[in-house]
Amino acid sequence: MSEGIRVASLDDVEEGEGIAISKEVTGTEDDIAILRDEAGFCWALNDTCTHETASLADGWVEDGDVECPLHASKFNLKTGEVDGLPATQDTVAHRVEVRDGEIYLFPNEKPV
Amino acid sequence: MVASIVIVGGGIAGVSTAAALRSGGYDGDLTLVDAGEFPYDRPPLSKDYLAGKQELAALALQPAEWYDDQEIRLANRTTVAALRPAEAGVELSDGTVLPADRVVLATGAHAARPPIPGATSDRVHVLRTAEDADGLRKALLPGARLLVVGGGLIGAEAASTALGLGCEVTLVDPLTPPLAAAVGEETATWLHDLHAERGISVLTAGVDAFEETAGGIAARLNSEHAPRDFDAVLLGVGMRAETTLAEAAGLEVTGGIVVDAGQTTSNPAVLAVGDPTRRRVDGVLQRPAEHWEAAQHDGTRAAATILGTPQPEPTAAWFWTDRHGLHVEGVGRMADAGHTVVRGTPGDGPFSVFAIDDGRVVGAVAVDDTKAVRASRRMIDGRLAVDLDDLADSGTDLRKLLRAAKG
Ligand SMILES: Cc1cc2nc3c(=O)[nH]c(=O)nc-3n(C[C@H](O)[C@H](O)[C@H](O)COP(=O)(O)OP(=O)(O)OC[C@H]3O[C@@H](n4cnc5c(N)ncnc54)[C@H](O)[C@@H]3O)c2cc1C
Ligand code: FES
Repeated sequence: MSEGIRVASLDDVEEGEGIAISKEVTGTEDDIAILRDEAGFCWALNDTCTHETASLADGWVEDGDVECPLHASKFNLKTGEVDGLPATQDTVAHRVEVRDGEIYLFPNEKPV
Repeated sequence: MVASIVIVGGGIAGVSTAAALRSGGYDGDLTLVDAGEFPYDRPPLSKDYLAGKQELAALALQPAEWYDDQEIRLANRTTVAALRPAEAGVELSDGTVLPADRVVLATGAHAARPPIPGATSDRVHVLRTAEDADGLRKALLPGARLLVVGGGLIGAEAASTALGLGCEVTLVDPLTPPLAAAVGEETATWLHDLHAERGISVLTAGVDAFEETAGGIAARLNSEHAPRDFDAVLLGVGMRAETTLAEAAGLEVTGGIVVDAGQTTSNPAVLAVGDPTRRRVDGVLQRPAEHWEAAQHDGTRAAATILGTPQPEPTAAWFWTDRHGLHVEGVGRMADAGHTVVRGTPGDGPFSVFAIDDGRVVGAVAVDDTKAVRASRRMIDGRLAVDLDDLADSGTDLRKLLRAAKG
């Protein structure tokens, strides 16, 4: 198993906020949003909303979901499952680990 | 026990009702009847779909297999002709009667076509359905002269899309600024002025008549003597609730199908959701909501009523609209507020305007600043008091402000 890619410091992402990591860094089909929940935990989802083209890194993180900044479909931070129209397709969740204040991303690995 | 439900109309309200019934545990018979080819979403019809950037298939409200997965019988290309409350059923246009212990009317609305002389010309368009959008798009050739009548949500969006397609656009509205009731006077003015800045001719006028000419259509405006020539016209003057079935069934209809807080009409076996409805709260008829999320929430409420489960917590009304590359959102009530607080500078990046009553946020409208609206909605719903200077300071993190207010 890989060591993961160091994508940011924990201090770069405020609680309840997100940042987008370019696919050039992650090597994935889409950019990846690192989203930090209110309790301080980090999660990772494909960044582009499955409805249109919004960046989920700009979404509102609350109660285990991120709400799309354009039309407010919600995606589960752990599973990527969509809850609520207009989006109908689930998104992809990736594994994230925080070690020594640094955020490591494991692209295309399921979160544990 | 409710063992069969027929939903009439497959817009966001009808589809949301069906989804909420299933997720709420209803396992009886469920039929969704819709006149169209498949249930699709309307907001893109004045935006990317009109611009030719999206196919109709991409607008499907649910993938085709969803209906099977959810055991929802989708009767597409089918019209309900009448309600048969006495027989606990609905009659389709081919005479078939479907049994229904409960009927949910989700019949939506039509684009209004006011009786302006000449408005029946093929060159005068409205915009409600995909067919309307297809017809209008054919007229939006580069250089085509388009007159948009009405600067509200749909008129402004279509005008902006047409401009992007290279049309020469004129926008008329008798009110300046349009939309003041929805977004407040100052933002309405800023948004309306943006049209002229981007190259649309904006006139304060109404239309008295249209007349077909050799190769186009002439419009007589009430503000000037000589008619003006156009290639096409779009009427964006509001909607007319589809209430035919409700009226024929003797339900209470007053500018919309009248429903209670749980979406039940004057007949307890018939509920109604979305654009055709008007809610009566404490004996007072509310204005029709006419927005996407309101229709979705109606569906959730109707399902809760049928299932006898608790109603969802009420939340401030929310809508979005897009024009000239800007994403605009509104929440709560902007009209008649005590005063407003502005965060950011209109014209210089994202900004938001908050309506304040008694020191509390009661509404907000934001341009390219969706977090301000998300935060405001929570302030409104929670009746939270926040420091107004902090609110106005674009350096303040609104999430933190919200958290501090929650205590
Ligand atoms: C061009 C456009 C752009 C919009 N943009 C936005 C936006 O940006 N943001 C926003 O918040 N809102 C927007 N809206 C508003 C939003 O789309 C509507 O509020 C929403 O579609 C209402 O949904 P509904 O299900 O009540 O009605 P509808 O979407 O009208 O659906 C009703 C359905 O019922 C069917 N039907 C009616 N009678 C029968 C019958 N007898 N038998 C069978 N079927 C029947 C119709 O065919 C139709 O499919 C827009 C609307 C339009 C038209
Ligand atoms: S782009 Fe995310 S819900 Fe529309």
